[in-house]
Amino acid sequence: MKPSAAKTAIPAPRNRALAILIACSLIITLTAACLQLTLGSYDMPLHEAWAALTDAAIWHHPAVLGRLLLGAQTANALGLPAAPPLDTATLIVWNVRVPRILVGLMVGTNLALSGSIFQAITRNELASPYLLGVSSGAGLAVLLALMVWPVLGTHLPLAAMAGGATAFLVVYGIAWHHGTSPVRLVLAGVIVGAIAGSLQTMLFFLAKDLSVVQNAMTWMAGSLTGAGWEQVRLVAPWTLASVVLSLCATRYLDVLRLGDAPASALGMHVERVRFVLAAIAILAASSAVAVTGLIGFVGLIVPHVIRNTVGSAHRLLIVGCLFAGPALLTSADTVARLAFAPLQIPVGLVTGVLGGGFFLYLMRRRREFGKL
Amino acid sequence: MSTSHTQPAPATASGLRGCQLTVRYNPGQSVVIDGQSIDIPTGRITVLIGPNGSGKSTLLKTLARQLAPESGEVLMDGRDIATLSSRAFARRLGILFQENAAPHGVTVEELVAHGRYAHQRLFDAFADEDRAAVDAALERTGIAPLRQHWVARLSAGQRQLAWIAMALAQETQYLFLDEPTTFLDLAHQFEIMDLLRALNRELGKTLVLVVHDLNLAVRYADFIFALRDGRIAASGAPADVLTPAVLRQVFDVEARIVRDDATGLCFCLPVGKAGSTTTPMSPHADRPSQVGMPLRGVRVE
Repeated sequence: MKPSAAKTAIPAPRNRALAILIACSLIITLTAACLQLTLGSYDMPLHEAWAALTDAAIWHHPAVLGRLLLGAQTANALGLPAAPPLDTATLIVWNVRVPRILVGLMVGTNLALSGSIFQAITRNELASPYLLGVSSGAGLAVLLALMVWPVLGTHLPLAAMAGGATAFLVVYGIAWHHGTSPVRLVLAGVIVGAIAGSLQTMLFFLAKDLSVVQNAMTWMAGSLTGAGWEQVRLVAPWTLASVVLSLCATRYLDVLRLGDAPASALGMHVERVRFVLAAIAILAASSAVAVTGLIGFVGLIVPHVIRNTVGSAHRLLIVGCLFAGPALLTSADTVARLAFAPLQIPVGLVTGVLGGGFFLYLMRRRREFGKL
Repeated sequence: MSTSHTQPAPATASGLRGCQLTVRYNPGQSVVIDGQSIDIPTGRITVLIGPNGSGKSTLLKTLARQLAPESGEVLMDGRDIATLSSRAFARRLGILFQENAAPHGVTVEELVAHGRYAHQRLFDAFADEDRAAVDAALERTGIAPLRQHWVARLSAGQRQLAWIAMALAQETQYLFLDEPTTFLDLAHQFEIMDLLRALNRELGKTLVLVVHDLNLAVRYADFIFALRDGRIAASGAPADVLTPAVLRQVFDVEARIVRDDATGLCFCLPVGKAGSTTTPMSPHADRPSQVGMPLRGVRVE
């Protein structure tokens, strides 16, 4: 880990630090993507994977590409012709591996953005969608939705957002006492998260269908297994919205992080701005939860690492999240998918073990970390 | 009563006035400000003094719209400040609080740039005038050489200067400061107070300060309001307020007012708690008292 940025009086040139961070993130992401494309139950050398990726049968036939990206239903509705038979390698790369990578990139982005925003609006380095109970609330809502309408649909992110927002409002309401303190927020978040977790487990016992329970268990642990184009379509619009809104919000994040009173003195309508920013963070986290379940620690660790590298200015921090978040999630998913081959484990377990370990290391190494 | 030039103009539409302000932190709790009216002298340095819990910080925050009064109103140029938008108000009045956190990972320049918040709209880039305001604030406070430094790594005095620079970049007519020198050593106390005086004399800003140190307050104020138990107990030019009788009534102390012949400065020498039998009486205690007279800014009930 790099030395804490605040240890010296003058920061190193931070645009350069950000550029290095982005370059490292891109290298990690590309390496993970190459491993993901080539390895698995159907191993193929890199050149074969590349050939499949650039297969003319895909790129020279807009109808085939459209059918993949839009899904069979929309493609039929649009009257796109049926796809000609494709090579096995092309099929595996395009139907299984590429969408999984894309979902990982987007979910990593969403979780990192959500963590950054929550950390700014609660002025709390320990805040993350997971610790504030937002992920658990969204998860409970998704589980309920899946049991009532057991089909994956566009309603899932919306249900997740409703659940995440409810959880956040409850946490905020409990913690609010002449303003919120970091300790009260995290405690309330942990408790609300525990309640939502218990309710999720309770649903398993009430469920009649065992296969539903098994799917739900995998989903709860946070998994990209089986992520396909359907999941890409589900999460992509929300990721785009989160990215654009977060980039617009950097100045507000900076000012709000100074404290409620200074922000108000500078002319900010603090409660209104915090509400809007929280909504962006909930949107980002909940849409991620809706497609991949509960993946912890990404929203906590990524902003932390970036802050130590480039400082807290959100115009740098948010841009850093767009690269480091995907890097962490795709590399963790590579481990989850390939380390115990032919078995796959949920990526949430990998981020839980790696991220949790890193978190403990930080607490041990930096005394001021989590100083409340 | 003060007859000096620091006497604020009689109630007119211009300037900042608090009218019959009553402030409570929570319904049911006792009042912190008890139906007080106050005229802030425009273009002057006004200092609020008083013992802990007298309501001086509360009054400052109420006038600066950081607290909403339970009843009464604050008028700026004749208009109730509650009807102004947050941004419009922040372009007229800036306030710095007693304890300013040292945000980690923020440079001096970035902090000062936040002073431009009220001047920018959602998608505005940082314009030339914003850049100029930030540069001017950094120069004026003398911390331009530190612009690339982390705020969290500055000394307490430098950090206070950085926050003042942020408030300067806000380019407001009114600048309020709650105990700007409390955590500083003597040299930095003078540095800050000299800077504030220069802002008043050279830029014409109207300053309102809460100052804990009586001698510092007297030395830099044009006009003083002394508060006790949520009421304005005395007001006027420093020489009129700094009397044994006022100090006894407001601070519960017996004090001597000593004039230093070399500098011509008056200062207060507290000698004990009021009513204490061991307290030697001040030789100046027979000086005409202000207490009990109808005072400007006090609502007599």
